[in-house]
Amino acid sequence: MISTSHVWLRRSAKPMAIAAIPAVLFILLFIFYAGWTIWTSFTDLSLLGRKSINPSFVGFDNYIRLITRDGFLQSVWTTTVFTFFSAIVGQCGIGLLLAIIMKSSRFRLKSFVEFAILFGWLAPDVVAAFMWNAFASSDGMINVIILQPLGFESVNLLNEYAIEVVIISNIWKGTAWSYLLFSAALDTVSREVIEAAYMDGANALQRLRHVLLPLLRAQIATNLLFVTIWTYAFFSLIYALTGGGPGRETEVLSIYMYKQAFDVGKLGYGSAVAIAMMLIVGGLSIFYVRQNKDQTR
Amino acid sequence: MMTSVKPSFTQSASTNILLAVVVIAWLSPLSWLLMTSVNPNASGGFVVPTSFTLDHFVTVMSGTSLRQFLNSLFIAFTSATLTAILAAFAAYPFSRLNIPYKNTILWSLALLRILPQTAIIIPVFLTGRALGLLNTGGVILVLTLMNLPFAILLLKNFFDTIPSELEEASYMEGATLYQTLAHVVFPLSRAGLAVIWFMAFTTAWNEFLFPFLMLRSDQAFPMAIGLYAAFGQYGATDYGFLTSYSIIYTAPAIFVYFLLKRNLTTGFAGVGVKG
Repeated sequence: MISTSHVWLRRSAKPMAIAAIPAVLFILLFIFYAGWTIWTSFTDLSLLGRKSINPSFVGFDNYIRLITRDGFLQSVWTTTVFTFFSAIVGQCGIGLLLAIIMKSSRFRLKSFVEFAILFGWLAPDVVAAFMWNAFASSDGMINVIILQPLGFESVNLLNEYAIEVVIISNIWKGTAWSYLLFSAALDTVSREVIEAAYMDGANALQRLRHVLLPLLRAQIATNLLFVTIWTYAFFSLIYALTGGGPGRETEVLSIYMYKQAFDVGKLGYGSAVAIAMMLIVGGLSIFYVRQNKDQTR
Repeated sequence: MMTSVKPSFTQSASTNILLAVVVIAWLSPLSWLLMTSVNPNASGGFVVPTSFTLDHFVTVMSGTSLRQFLNSLFIAFTSATLTAILAAFAAYPFSRLNIPYKNTILWSLALLRILPQTAIIIPVFLTGRALGLLNTGGVILVLTLMNLPFAILLLKNFFDTIPSELEEASYMEGATLYQTLAHVVFPLSRAGLAVIWFMAFTTAWNEFLFPFLMLRSDQAFPMAIGLYAAFGQYGATDYGFLTSYSIIYTAPAIFVYFLLKRNLTTGFAGVGVKG
């Protein structure tokens, strides 16, 4: 049972354990909720009506529906595209590149650049959504200062290029995290290593590919794991920006789940979507961790 | 770092140009926000204001939007304080006592941290509806629930860095557990507690999904939902009002970050080892 090696704590163990009870209850409730979602995913529980009081057990029906109807699979694809371009290519790639460039550059406005990137990250999701909503409108900034001078007709970008706008806004929003992480990681790389490679005649690209990337492998893998998990379940920015539209073009899994559960009212089916999301995210995490282990071995 | 060994003129020029592009890409949204918020004839376009006004800010700081600002403050403050207290009471025994399956518990806390919100949203809604907690109180409880696993994890690691000899010494001097906590442990862990509190505050301040699901009247909305409800599909958008609203909504998040940044470097590095 609970014991302690400290003499002074032996007498205090009981009050300390009692003080921890509220937090333990919260944590247990959290786990209980997750289990509850698994249970509802096997029922036809609904938001309103008779099935909200008396749901019946339907076995794997909800899960079969996930695969046989195209709504879910389409959302999986949208989420994958969104995550790949905005998190992996965008946030992680641009963040790494920026960290490397900023380390070496003597650019005068460096702290200014840092603040600019940080602002995107610190602004609440809904503020980012509002701003990008305004920029992408037909008389918004992108149209007025980029597209019109180039001779294009002004368009409502949220209707024509919704997924692109959503991806770019998420890059704008999230790059700072990766940048900060890689920046800190670069501080641990010793200068001598890079200089030695330079002396051996390696050019910038070779130094990046054969020296820097192998040294940063662990940090890159960890960051990819985090960013992928977060982005895969991201809700607020996309929902506030497009609401999943136009049509279902930007309906990522979290929005699909929310709409099925609370707009359509099918809580059982929504639970199945949530569990499927959890499994996908879990699968991705295991994949990343495995990959990282194999490489470092 | 790659190019720093001996940067040629063209190399440093090209990185400068690249950085300038980055600055423009990231800062033009911010500058649009600032310019529009003080422009009496605010519009969605990129317009440099010809005259200056603070009227929009005055409008935001009155009526419903002021109410929403206070709601956000109340929700974030209460949930952050609750998180910090509960986490401290759980993390301290967790750090000091030998609890069976300690590693398993640590791992499950880390797993709960990465669990998507959608995984618990339906039970949260059902219990909220059944217990009449689809209100501010319910939102505070859910946010505390979501923040707690990570807060315990972080604080436990922080307590681990505080040498237990200090507590032993205070026991030898005849202090009770309460006195040891109040005069030795908590003063030493101020920095850790501050980090937890501010992180929980920012998370609650930014949160969208749960208040969106659980609150129905604009008098109860926090700023996240207030802003969402005010822009978008219905009719003409009042850009001056919305940009001022956004700035006031963003400011605490930025303020807290810079406060936290100092705390992270001076706090985590120095406190606790000194004793």
